[in-house]
Amino acid sequence: MRLAAPRLAALPGVDIVEVGAPINAAHLFADVDAAIVVDAVRTPDGRREPGELVRLELGDERLPTNVGSSLSSHGFGVGEAIALAAALGDLPPVVVLGIEAGGTTEGTGMSPPVGAALDALADLIATEAERLSSP
Amino acid sequence: MTHRSVEVPVVARVEGEGALHVRVDDGEITDLRLEIYEPPRFFEAFLEGRHFSEVPDIVPRICGICPVAYQMSAIYGLERLFGVQVPAGTRELRRLLYLGEWIESHVLHVFLLAAPDFLGYDSAIEMAASEPAMVKRALGLKRIGNDLMALIGGREIHPVSPRVGGFSKAPRPADLQAFVPRLEAALDEMGGIADFVAGLPKPSFPRPAEMVAMVHPDEYAINEGTLLSTTGRAFDAETFERVSREEHVEHSNALHSVMADTGTPYFVGPLARINLNAGRLTATARECAERAGLSLPETDPFFSMAARVAETALAIEESIALIRSYRSPDPPMVDPRPRAGRATWTTEAPRGTLYHRYDVDDEGRIVMAKIVPPTSQNLRHMEADLRAFVPSVLDRPDEELTRLCEMVVRNYDPCISCATHFLTLDIERH
Repeated sequence: MRLAAPRLAALPGVDIVEVGAPINAAHLFADVDAAIVVDAVRTPDGRREPGELVRLELGDERLPTNVGSSLSSHGFGVGEAIALAAALGDLPPVVVLGIEAGGTTEGTGMSPPVGAALDALADLIATEAERLSSP
Repeated sequence: MTHRSVEVPVVARVEGEGALHVRVDDGEITDLRLEIYEPPRFFEAFLEGRHFSEVPDIVPRICGICPVAYQMSAIYGLERLFGVQVPAGTRELRRLLYLGEWIESHVLHVFLLAAPDFLGYDSAIEMAASEPAMVKRALGLKRIGNDLMALIGGREIHPVSPRVGGFSKAPRPADLQAFVPRLEAALDEMGGIADFVAGLPKPSFPRPAEMVAMVHPDEYAINEGTLLSTTGRAFDAETFERVSREEHVEHSNALHSVMADTGTPYFVGPLARINLNAGRLTATARECAERAGLSLPETDPFFSMAARVAETALAIEESIALIRSYRSPDPPMVDPRPRAGRATWTTEAPRGTLYHRYDVDDEGRIVMAKIVPPTSQNLRHMEADLRAFVPSVLDRPDEELTRLCEMVVRNYDPCISCATHFLTLDIERH
């Protein structure tokens, strides 16, 4: 987000919110015209390489099952937060941008492939924000 | 005092699933093991070598639902060790911040985690599709807690203002006063919510138990006080590790807390608190407790939900009073001088008593940290509950048995309980 911030700052009405537990995001969807959700993802059966970027556009459709839910011990993940907002009829256009994680065991720092992909992810975030901001 | 933002590029190991192993021989349970929780051991190691001023930024990341609890347990303990006198008004502001977290966490649990089970839905999402008005109201109520935390804490979701020494920045009275109408409207809703909880069909499971909570002479204990159990044990943060012992359990990653002298389990949390702090309930909280069906002393863990409703009412009612008498602490914080030694403290997180210990050197660096979360302390008791409860429902099909076991565990609102179906039930019948 830091890398994307300069371009995002140029867009009116764009807020960056860091969400600790995705359940806390459920109410945020009701407030906005559009949302970009950025998160680490883990594709089951290793179909994606670490550092690979994933983009999913959601209209008012249910979250596709290939966006897995939580990597958090609070199992109410991003997928659930979006689905909850959708079930309540509160879901605006949402784009989910994910970066495939290198691994989710204990440790500090991100894996090299993920680190190398950050510029591309920041670019994608800023591009999406610019697209969603334009009339 | 400039605030330095600390990025913690850490992914703590997480378990999204739990396992319950049950072995039945001739209708008798011969083995029962519950594995659902990984305590924050990694964070304890990660804190070593850090300066005390960084601790309030690191520890809240242990829990996305109760960051304030972790900050307060750390901050109060370190302040006591250093002999810090915080500015007038700090204590009240800290209590208000914590009450915001209670509101947010309890409402989340009652409506999104527990209610679906009791109403027979597979998930909160399924429940939301069938009962959107109720879920929206719940999210609106939860949101008051989140918004209060955002205002006092300085940021949506993750508080940045709590510091050893006070707050880096304190809210203006006018900004807090703007919450009063929302809080008053929320308080009006609590009676109806108590009735709703009273009407939920639930198993009956009263059982003798040792409950532990903080107590305080003047208030419903949250940030300050001593510890008391329903069997009369009186202790405090300084003696905590002598009274409560962590035992390593074979075949499991988890450490189980038991009373050191008897080796018996105990539990913490809203049901324990309301039993031990009954005289400190606010008027609406007392009314909600009664309407929700609580008659104290209450030992049935299925009444934990009712206890959470009563505590939510207390949190709302006290918040209104605290906001009305609020004066911004000025200056918002003091500059603490570290001392070497051992810092210990407990506070009442939404899920129960949270214990922190920090061994600090004379430069204020953490030499060692020990954190005992409420869910850790409850584990053995959760197992004991299951062992007592499961025989009565052994004849049910595995899917229903799993759901009932999840409900027994979920009474404790453990950090794992957000997962809709979190138990892998492995049952061997012989």
